[in-house]
Amino acid sequence: MKLIVIFTVVLNLQCLANVYSQEKVTINLKSTDFKKVISSIQKQTNYHFVFSERKIPTDKNLSVNVQNLEVPKVLDQLLANTNFTYTVLDNNLIVITSKDEVVSNVVVKGTVHDANGQPLPGVSIRVKGTSAGTQSDMNGNYSINVPDNATLVFSFLGYDTQEVVVAGKTTINVTLSEAAKNLNEVVVTALGIKKEERKIGYSATTVGADDLNKVKETNVASSLEGRVAGLQISGTNGGPGSSVRVMLRGVPSLSSGTSSPLFIINGVPMDNTQRGASGEWGGADMGDGIANINPDDIESMTVLKGQAASALYGSRAANGVIMITTKSGKKNTNFGVEYSTNYQMDKVRNDLDYQNIYGQGKLGQKPKDGDAGDAMNDGSEAWGARLDGSPLTQFNGKIYPYSAVPNNILSFYRTGHTFSNTVAFTGGGDHGAFRFSVSDLNNAAVVPNSGLDRKSFNLNTTQSVTSKLDVSLVANYIVDNENNRTGLSDGPGNPNNVLFLSPNEDQRILAPGYGANGVETQFTDDNYVTNPYFAAYKFVTNTSRERLITTASAKYNFTSWLYAQLREGYDVINDKRIDITPTGTGYNAAGSMDQNNGKITEQNTDILIGAKHDLVKDLLNLDLTVGGNIRKAGDEGTRISGQNNFIIPYFYSLSNFSGRNADVPYFHQRETHSAYYTADFGIKDYLILSTTGRYDTYSTLPANNRGIFTPSVSGSFIFSDLYHINGLDFGKVRLSYSQTSGEPGNPYADAIYYSLSNSINGVPAAAYNHDQLPNLFLKPYTLTEIEAGTEMKFWGNRFGFDIAYFTRKTEHEIFTAGLDISSGYWGRYVPTGSIQNRGVEIEVHGTPVKTSDFSWTPAFNFTYVQNKVLKTDANNTTSGLGTYRPFNANTAWVVGMSGPQIMASDYVRNASGQIVFDAQGLPQGAPRTPMGSTVPKVYGGFNNDFNYKGFNLSFLIDYRYGNKILSATSYYSILRGLNKITLPGRETGVVGQGVDPNGAPNTVNVPAETYYQKLARQVSSLDVLDGSFIKLRQVSFGYTIPRTILSGTPFSSINVSLVGRNLWTIMKRSDNIDPESGFSPNVAYAGIEGTSVPAVRTFGFSVNFKFKN
Amino acid sequence: MKKRYIYSCLVLGATLFAGCTKNFDNINTDPNQTTAALINPNFFMAQAQMEFANGSSGYRQLLFQSCWIQGLASTEGYYTNGDKYVYGGSPQTYTNMIWNDDYSAEGRIYEMKNLIKGNAAYSNLDNCGTILQVLIQQQITDQYGDSPYSQASQAKSGIFTPAFDKTQAIYTNMLSQLATATAALDASKPGPTSDLFYKGNVAQWKKLGYSLMLRLAMRLTKVDAATAQKYAEMAYSGGAMSSAADDAKVFSDNADNYPNNAANTFLNNVPDWQGVRWGNTLISFMQSNSDPRISAVAEVAIGNGLTANGLYVPGDNTASKQVGMPNGYDLGGSHDISTAPGYPGATPADPSVSGDAPAEQGKYSRPRFAVYLDRNGSNIVLTYGETELLFAEAASNGWATGVAATHYANALAADMQALAELNSTPQAVVDPAAITAYVAAHPLTPATALQQINMEYYVQACTTFQFIEAWNNWKRSGFPVLTPVVYPGQFTNGSIPRRVTYPVSLAQTNPSGLAAAAADQGADNFMTKVWWDK
Repeated sequence: MKLIVIFTVVLNLQCLANVYSQEKVTINLKSTDFKKVISSIQKQTNYHFVFSERKIPTDKNLSVNVQNLEVPKVLDQLLANTNFTYTVLDNNLIVITSKDEVVSNVVVKGTVHDANGQPLPGVSIRVKGTSAGTQSDMNGNYSINVPDNATLVFSFLGYDTQEVVVAGKTTINVTLSEAAKNLNEVVVTALGIKKEERKIGYSATTVGADDLNKVKETNVASSLEGRVAGLQISGTNGGPGSSVRVMLRGVPSLSSGTSSPLFIINGVPMDNTQRGASGEWGGADMGDGIANINPDDIESMTVLKGQAASALYGSRAANGVIMITTKSGKKNTNFGVEYSTNYQMDKVRNDLDYQNIYGQGKLGQKPKDGDAGDAMNDGSEAWGARLDGSPLTQFNGKIYPYSAVPNNILSFYRTGHTFSNTVAFTGGGDHGAFRFSVSDLNNAAVVPNSGLDRKSFNLNTTQSVTSKLDVSLVANYIVDNENNRTGLSDGPGNPNNVLFLSPNEDQRILAPGYGANGVETQFTDDNYVTNPYFAAYKFVTNTSRERLITTASAKYNFTSWLYAQLREGYDVINDKRIDITPTGTGYNAAGSMDQNNGKITEQNTDILIGAKHDLVKDLLNLDLTVGGNIRKAGDEGTRISGQNNFIIPYFYSLSNFSGRNADVPYFHQRETHSAYYTADFGIKDYLILSTTGRYDTYSTLPANNRGIFTPSVSGSFIFSDLYHINGLDFGKVRLSYSQTSGEPGNPYADAIYYSLSNSINGVPAAAYNHDQLPNLFLKPYTLTEIEAGTEMKFWGNRFGFDIAYFTRKTEHEIFTAGLDISSGYWGRYVPTGSIQNRGVEIEVHGTPVKTSDFSWTPAFNFTYVQNKVLKTDANNTTSGLGTYRPFNANTAWVVGMSGPQIMASDYVRNASGQIVFDAQGLPQGAPRTPMGSTVPKVYGGFNNDFNYKGFNLSFLIDYRYGNKILSATSYYSILRGLNKITLPGRETGVVGQGVDPNGAPNTVNVPAETYYQKLARQVSSLDVLDGSFIKLRQVSFGYTIPRTILSGTPFSSINVSLVGRNLWTIMKRSDNIDPESGFSPNVAYAGIEGTSVPAVRTFGFSVNFKFKN
Repeated sequence: MKKRYIYSCLVLGATLFAGCTKNFDNINTDPNQTTAALINPNFFMAQAQMEFANGSSGYRQLLFQSCWIQGLASTEGYYTNGDKYVYGGSPQTYTNMIWNDDYSAEGRIYEMKNLIKGNAAYSNLDNCGTILQVLIQQQITDQYGDSPYSQASQAKSGIFTPAFDKTQAIYTNMLSQLATATAALDASKPGPTSDLFYKGNVAQWKKLGYSLMLRLAMRLTKVDAATAQKYAEMAYSGGAMSSAADDAKVFSDNADNYPNNAANTFLNNVPDWQGVRWGNTLISFMQSNSDPRISAVAEVAIGNGLTANGLYVPGDNTASKQVGMPNGYDLGGSHDISTAPGYPGATPADPSVSGDAPAEQGKYSRPRFAVYLDRNGSNIVLTYGETELLFAEAASNGWATGVAATHYANALAADMQALAELNSTPQAVVDPAAITAYVAAHPLTPATALQQINMEYYVQACTTFQFIEAWNNWKRSGFPVLTPVVYPGQFTNGSIPRRVTYPVSLAQTNPSGLAAAAADQGADNFMTKVWWDK
């Protein structure tokens, strides 16, 4: 942080120094041309030149050798014996003209207004072709000294730029009109090809920097939540830097894993490998690739939803594409500095609503007086007596009152904070531009002793080598260290076990989590439930990552309509992970340690040749691009685990073991070769027909089945250009058909392999991988989509909407069908999967209220997706996905239903629907049946922006309907007597309402603990909760300090914002949990939650400073 | 000109990018694994032996059969499945472990046999493979009943939902296969080279084959005495194990990441070590016989209090101090251990240890540290002593398997000596003189032969941590006579479990098999009896 401030100051001083630079120059140039001399003068002095390209000397063999000479004298020398002359104006402007042209100096004055007649201060007024100019004052007035043949350029952010020729005028008043948003915007489409948004035949939504970085999420993908129709984001409750599940248009495929769309950064794919997630056996979330990107460096993110949009990416586009464009410098701008700082606090929200009437104990009895072991047996259970404040001997032998402890859980978690700082330097000359930024993010998680530190360096340069050849380099270097990623889901090493304490057990008495000998202080009789303090402070799960993402490209323009581009993208990641189970752990007293070093690479080389030409002048236009791509991707690494015990307890090093077990270094590689084209035919700019095609060959597939061709066709008709309708500014209908393909998730899936295991007592041993039966007949699968949509804008863009209908279907999907091990394998690849998504996306936006000082810009989006599994394997077997630790329910692909379905057990009921109890009066679970999908059918967001003078208020509400949650919190809270549903019958016993096995009314009275524990184990439908919600997702309140106030300062702009995120759950239907809870980003585990980091509320502020140029 | 330039670019581009896929086969070859051409099929045997033998010794049996058979007892919540027939922990995680590990091991053997099919040079390996398959399948079938056998492990041939064979059919098939394979073993040909049982000694494999045949045969005494007799006599004439040197066992190898499962469980879990004790049924019986094995297998923790009780240090193995813990008690619940008959009392908290508490089970005997907490300890698979006991029973039935009393006496001596095999450096050593004296003092009496033989089977199986085998023999013979534990919320309605439930995932991965099994043998619960258990 300190470093950044020093940087800023030093660079800014340099900037100021330039203003007072000398007017004398030293030039020593041989065989040069006139332009280079001028450029050299401009660099050394404060002079700017005005000239016309055709009206300067063309001699390319000039030699200049001057020492400390005034500029006019240099020019005299240069222009002697030429037909040119120069004039120095009093604002350091030098005009070069031919001698027969008479140039005189004019002072132009005037006022700049907006469309409502209000004066516009701060408008930049520039002499065209130079960076010399002035700004309008508070009243919109300006005055500038220019040559009488100059052209003035008026520009102001948010307004259309206007050019006025001076032509001798001395007063020029200008009215700037507001830039008509979205009308003629350019959108970056697949392969980085820029197209006019109005013309494209599919749906694409761009989210700008403001929406992404105002409130900083440690994973920038989370910021997209609620902002784009068709896009659904689910985070993992795993602390900072956790992975997200990004789903476009429903569950994209049966094999979609984390379902991640392809992330493209500056035109080339980047790696988004999910590095490991929790499951029913616990473990931490290891984060994904997108989480590494610094939001401050992002200019925009464009979501290409439909397959027609992403077809050019072939197989990898099956889950959709999100294109990231990072910020860049602009040509012909002065050196600029921008600094932003952001501070946020996270507070845990308590969603638990447990009973507080009965305390720790068993069968209605509190633990025996003076018996610590007895208390230890039920430290996380509440089957005891009514809480009465009487003394209770706890597991630690000390005496506490037997009464409820309020707010117990909240006090375990601390206030988290995130402090991020970014400083960016930009600038550009005639031939190039750059932006360089340094950013630091420091986070302390709500889970004690856990946090994240990330430094990012981003360089973006472009350079014109010749007038035809442009080169650019974008490099993003990231150093990411995460401390103690939090254990989730299952009990071992999980600090969130604190969520299941007896109502009378104060979490503070668990601290510090270990005794004098360093051994874990256990508080229950289940040693796999780690003491939360011991888990937080003694367990280690650290990851560190160094990553370099680079894109280098060269583009050659043969003519104004033909170019060729060569691009190389390389993303290389070095990861290190250390896991330590400390000495003295309850379930592993000896402790263990392992270290995993890995490397991931993603390399893309592509060539594009583009041509844009009229086939029939003013009627038929062709925009053609053809190209090819070679992708090489791989991951490799080594994992070393300590064998036997630590020799010296508490000394955690791999050197401290009598032996080390090195897994065979893992190594995976794959290669894809592709060729593709895109051709757009435009008739008079209002009817556009686009077609794309891509041929891929995959190394992961068998030789006879390697290649597949996937086409797309899309058309758009801008009817508003043909028929004029009152009030309608823009109207378009579009239709597209497309097909993409996919390959197996893993290489080496098409052959049978044998591997050597560790030798046993010196005897060699071998095995085959029985997790997955290889399939020798794999072929690429296909995904077909039809999309129809319309987009309209009315009344000067005061109102607009975009509606899309889509239907998409996968066929011959390669997915893993579960087998029982008695078949010899745990699973097999089957090329029979098929899944369908149909839905509607609506985006409505507008500016219903707009006056000179005030505007209101709401934007609403709505998505309805109906997912249906059409086929699994040949027999349409229900295919199991994920489960939670109680194992009495799971998620699965069920043919004919939306996926993933929760399969859970209801009560056993008789024909008339009555619950049938067993002879002991206990409830029984029926076979599992589908109980609803974990993925919402309806979701979206409603964003509102209010602007009043310099103030801005915006808030985002988002919502989700129609999904179910499988809740381990529900299971454990019932099993342990914490849930309020376990209250009836506590003191009297429970007689279940229903019938006995013979059909007579059930009359057996069962102790509450026995009854409810059986209930929890058998009837898992109680754990299936409704995941619908409406949330106030984000609020920000900002103020931009007026330029006039900043006139005496080094700043050109300061913006201050107060921000908040996840502030208020307006509606939810899930008791005891946040409806978004989840421990894994994997689709298989979507909707399964339990023992994870609670939801947090975030508050903070951010300040953005722009220094004067 | 320009057009030609563009076209050639296109052609070149297409060729370069889509064309050269020649090295794709190379790219898609896993450099860290090998193929059928290079693998040595022998290597699968060691893998399967370890998977099966060590797989059976940890939580898979400790949480269930060890306590059902009252060889061990526990007040711990994790052990309520076994001690009280009440669900504890996540029982479904553990009930399917035998299934998963055993079928995994069987799959290795199937693959091995596949690779050497028709290759005469491997005939011994092939037949040893059959013996191993039967060994594994018997454990599966005895525990779950109907199960895939004739179609098991054949996913590669397209059988994804193998049919569940009836237990009777499995036994019939296993016996005939065993007879063929064992007879065909030929000591003059090369033996298996990766063999953890016998280091490739084919003669010993042959003995194992016949001992296993005897065990299979004797399981059938209640349902099909004729078949039992036929194969017991075949085993006797064929030549079963003849000394403790023939015992089948697998030594764990901690340094290579194959730690002994039972030892690992106790060493990794202080509460398990604090709360799991020898069962009163076992220890009382041994004491009533003045069994000299008590000091070899049991000890009482030294020191007072909970902390001392959880320390991994050897205890006091003086025979007179040993007390078995009764099953069915908890800590602080409705059946607090302090209310047990003959409760020896807690050891008081150690005042010098902060936060220490009284050890309520502290005076009960636990498995000896030096013997059972050895990560390099052995997993006993099948012993000469067991063979002699079963021959003794067969002979008592009047079958042509020798003299019952001789077999019994041989068994007693062998069982006591076999304890030394638990560790590579013998820890549980019974004084030879004491063995001789005990054998002399406990001759087989025809009137009580069945009881004597099967109670000894119980003691030897429990003390060698073969609880699954002890439980199977109890189901068959009715010995020991056990009093079920009474506790609220039992999943068996007050009786001792006789079966283990199938993995729940089968409902999705093989529903037809599951349905066939239910139709054949009854509901999938802990009370349904397998075919031979009447």
